[in-house]
Amino acid sequence: MLLSIQDLKVAFRMGKAGGVMQRTEAVKGVSFDIPENTTVALVGESGSGKSVTAMSVLNLLPDNAERSGRILYKGGDLLQAPLGELQSLRGREIACVFQDPMSSLNPVFTVGNQLCEPLRRHLGLSRRVALEKAESLLAEVGMPEPRRRLSAYPHELSGGQQQRVMIAMALACEPRLLIADEPTTALDVTIQRQILELLAKLKEQHRMSMLFISHDLGVVGEIAEQVVVMRHGVVREQGPVVRIFSAPQDPYTQALLACRPSLTDNPARLRVIDDHIAGQAAAQESKPKDAQAPVVLEVRALAKSFWLRSGLFGKREFKAVQGVDFQLRRGHTLGVVGESGSGKTTMGLTLLRLHEPTGGEVVFDGQNLLALSDKQRQAMRRRIQIVFQNPYASLNPRFTIGQALVEPMTIHRIGASLAEREQRARSLLEKVGLDGRAFGKYPHEFSGGQRQRIAIARCLTLEPEVLVLDEAVSALDVSVQAQVLNLLKDLQDEFGLAYVFISHDLAVVRFMADEVLVMKDGVVVERAAGTELMAAPKQDYTQRLLGAIPRGYRPAV
Amino acid sequence: MAAYLLRRLWQMVPTLLGVVLLVFFLFKFFGGDPAEIIGGLNATPEQIHAIREQLGLNRPWYVQLGIFLKSIVTFDWGRSWATNEAVSNLFATRLPATLTVMLPILLLDVLLALPIAMWVAYRRGSLVDRTLMVVTTIALSISFLVYIIVGQYLFGFRLGWFPVQGWSDSVWTNLITYVPLPVMLAVMVGLSPQTRLYRTFFLDELGHDYVRTARAKGLVEGKVLFKHVLRNAMIPILTNVGLALPGIFVGSFLIEQFFSIPGLGREVLLAVNRSDYPVIQAVTVYLAMLTMLINLAVDVLYKLVDPRVVLK
Amino acid sequence: MESPSPPPVAPASVERSEGVWHAAWRRFRGDRVGLGALAIVAAFLVLITLSGAGLVARHWQNEVGVPDAPPSFLGPKAPEAAAVIEVPKGPNVDLSAIDPLAPRYKEWEERAAKLKTEELPRADTLPMGGDRLGRDVLSKAVKGTEVSVFVGVLAAVLATTIGTLLGALAGYFGGRVGDFLEWLYNVFTSIPEILLIFAFAAVFGRGIGTVVVILALVGWTGLYRQVRAEFMKHSVREYVRAAEAIGASVWSRMFRHILPNVSHVILVRMSLLVVSFIKFEVILSYLGMGVGVDDVSWGTMLAEAQSELILGHWWQLAAATLFMAVFVTAFSLLADALRDALDPKLRGLE
Repeated sequence: MLLSIQDLKVAFRMGKAGGVMQRTEAVKGVSFDIPENTTVALVGESGSGKSVTAMSVLNLLPDNAERSGRILYKGGDLLQAPLGELQSLRGREIACVFQDPMSSLNPVFTVGNQLCEPLRRHLGLSRRVALEKAESLLAEVGMPEPRRRLSAYPHELSGGQQQRVMIAMALACEPRLLIADEPTTALDVTIQRQILELLAKLKEQHRMSMLFISHDLGVVGEIAEQVVVMRHGVVREQGPVVRIFSAPQDPYTQALLACRPSLTDNPARLRVIDDHIAGQAAAQESKPKDAQAPVVLEVRALAKSFWLRSGLFGKREFKAVQGVDFQLRRGHTLGVVGESGSGKTTMGLTLLRLHEPTGGEVVFDGQNLLALSDKQRQAMRRRIQIVFQNPYASLNPRFTIGQALVEPMTIHRIGASLAEREQRARSLLEKVGLDGRAFGKYPHEFSGGQRQRIAIARCLTLEPEVLVLDEAVSALDVSVQAQVLNLLKDLQDEFGLAYVFISHDLAVVRFMADEVLVMKDGVVVERAAGTELMAAPKQDYTQRLLGAIPRGYRPAV
Repeated sequence: MAAYLLRRLWQMVPTLLGVVLLVFFLFKFFGGDPAEIIGGLNATPEQIHAIREQLGLNRPWYVQLGIFLKSIVTFDWGRSWATNEAVSNLFATRLPATLTVMLPILLLDVLLALPIAMWVAYRRGSLVDRTLMVVTTIALSISFLVYIIVGQYLFGFRLGWFPVQGWSDSVWTNLITYVPLPVMLAVMVGLSPQTRLYRTFFLDELGHDYVRTARAKGLVEGKVLFKHVLRNAMIPILTNVGLALPGIFVGSFLIEQFFSIPGLGREVLLAVNRSDYPVIQAVTVYLAMLTMLINLAVDVLYKLVDPRVVLK
Repeated sequence: MESPSPPPVAPASVERSEGVWHAAWRRFRGDRVGLGALAIVAAFLVLITLSGAGLVARHWQNEVGVPDAPPSFLGPKAPEAAAVIEVPKGPNVDLSAIDPLAPRYKEWEERAAKLKTEELPRADTLPMGGDRLGRDVLSKAVKGTEVSVFVGVLAAVLATTIGTLLGALAGYFGGRVGDFLEWLYNVFTSIPEILLIFAFAAVFGRGIGTVVVILALVGWTGLYRQVRAEFMKHSVREYVRAAEAIGASVWSRMFRHILPNVSHVILVRMSLLVVSFIKFEVILSYLGMGVGVDDVSWGTMLAEAQSELILGHWWQLAAATLFMAVFVTAFSLLADALRDALDPKLRGLE
């Protein structure tokens, strides 16, 4: 047994209130083991305490953390170890890779400089020898032109390359255990695939153990040998990956597995944690939509360019969106898929004229939205609305929920009096699944999923016909995501809304969309019905995208 | 780089023009009548009229503006109304004295505040840290004037460790005899805000992710602080020093006033009291130019300190 | 889509959660240092109001004490051992024969008896001592507090208003407007602050109102920078985009949506400005460029104190320094506590 965590408890001091120290318990008694040469995955949603557990091993927690319990490594208890001893362990026998490589690397030092640090600190290598070793490390992690990269600065590298540097730094002294805290979460799907493969290969070659933390069961299923599932600071279930995926015992684990949108099935609704725990039956197949519904939005040759300064006085055109066309029918959903930089978000914002388009037409009910006068545009605002990605930034922190919901109605003069508007606001809150008491509360009192519901309710106050959902569920946990997606589907059925659903997550898009556009570098690369696209993608890029998605655990055939 | 420099120099022109316009119109429309000031209290109306002719005050304002601009470009400001000394000469003779006092102050402020701030940042929340914060708060609430008055009285007058006032022609004598007391007082006062500021910079940096990575690599705290954090904190510190540089030219006019040091700051003070417009105008415009050039130099230097900077 | 129009129901009691200011007040209440500072500042404000209304220190200009009267706890000055000229003995010589004014003496004496002159006995000691002319230092200190603090606060409010307005416009709109305001900012900041103050002072002269205007015209730049940065940051945030999407007007977005999110930063900055303006005012008044000749401020007191110190009369210096130090320290601590209460994240990771 390489590392054994026994009854670990971590609490954070939050300052004194009324003379008594306030504490928040992040981890409430967690125990699991990491054997030699094994990958153990620590899975959980946000707030489960998985990161805190991992960071307590080497005591990389903030100053106000208090740990108790035991962490046994090589016969000694790491919790009791003095700082000097911990410092000689860190980077040498136990190393870390963090989630955001851009901020985890020091921006003012070169890659070579940072790579050499652990080599010189622990192995006592001279500068020249260390640099050579650094170069070989970079080659090992698959960095092209490793010699040149040694003198590069972190901001000159892409996200994937930065993460490779982090991995190289962690491997420098051949550690026995690698702690990887959500190492691929911040990366694009295709890059994620490369990094995962790299990690698996390195683990084999160096015969080390890996503690892999993630919220994504798909990733975990592919890479882990043992799985530990956490929720709210406790371990819900742990065991070999085969058993966890094929025969989970704990209801939470079962629910977590079940509420992921799948790439192959067509349910009408996703399973939600509470449904599952309550033991409800699987949902039925979704009904096909009315193919003859009236066309509510038609887009032709939409284009948006940004101008960047170049040279002394010149300007350079950056084409974010070029030539997008589609038709959207009432009650249908158009999915727009792409990685970062594909232009999908820009296109969504341009539909609402939040970015001014540089070309093309958006025809709504016979009128070209892009050619409207300001007054007409104001009236049109009611009919097409948007829900943004970041639930923490889309509600004004200084407005109560009630104020946020009443404002649009006041602007567009819906409802005869303030009392009527407030009544409408309350009923909409209930419709999205929150109770009326939310009316007087502030956004910071709600979770991400709840805030997205409020954002949806805000759009609904205007009775729109088209809703643009710009990565609306991407920042949410899987279980919450399922709830919001179900809500969106219900609202669509009830009000006949048409959606433009923008996302990078193919599985989610498959669940929501009837027709799917795949975008890359501002152009539509492929277009097909949802089910068709997933089953038989025609373009190279689409195939690559599909192939990069982690499928979870698949038993060897 | 050349393109960047050219563009920056080009961009300075409108700003400089703005400064010139500001100074010109400020003095023209709000200032007293220069002719009356020069003529003095007992001048007759004919004398005043003659002076006005001589200064060209009866010509239209845009002509006067033109003359003003010309005097800037040719570095010829005429003579001081009070002393009849050529204004350009003023700069040459007074600047060295100011710099002899101000440069040591700036240097000492930075060099002393840096280690103190680093130390309290390292031991943040401790008794030392909190004591320092309280002490600096109180120290900052007392006017600089009081420090000088008391300091001069105590160290100069009573204890006799330093001369109360004075200046000489030799730089070396100045540095040894006349500069220590003013520098000591100024540094005492300036240390408080600098230390607090640098402390904030260090604490900000300590909250960044790369510090966690450095610790995760097994580096000792000292190395984390002195190598990683310090290097990053140099960026805002450099900005701060760069912003403070133009201020030293006017010097601490208070110090020059109290210690009778013939520097630029004291000159400006005298000029204000005597309504000596040419001096004030000249100093303002030239210092503005100097500030812009210093800012440009700091921006370029930035590239050395922060590799993320792209000079566009 | 159906439009719900239910019968008007009496709205349920809106239990409003605490907003930012309530939460801040709650946090502030737990900060003992902050509360202490608040009490001191409040006491000063009461003093200032009384002084401004003329209820205390109105007669600070009256010379009620002997020149350089020492403070009461020190006791009166020892009588000067001046060289005494021997009073000649013998009767006075009668000069009425040659004195041209002699006939009028009687008449004048009668007239003088009809007029009353108040000759107040001059006190030997005053509570905090007297200055060179015998004016009560305590009254001067109180009046000086009123003037200095008033100037500082008013100038800060004015500078904040200018800076906020311009910063909001520059930060939100960018483009031409932003460029113009940046140019203005550059013009004002390329001249060192002190120099600009002197230039304005040379031209505008002395007086309380003038000082306020000068300080405001010079001091708006720091706030402008910060507000502009905040507005630039917020104007691309999703909640502002969302406000645009629902059709809110530009002014609504700027001042109803963004400004409340920035107001705590502005408030903290303004309190720092107050301190710095008070210090500037003191220096200006010391140099004779600040408040008018008939006014008293901490600065004028310090100006007088310098020459008094050589003679050993330290009380005016002490009084001015004491009042100033207590007020500014309390105000600074208050500002710190305010900043901590409003946004613990603004704190330096304490």
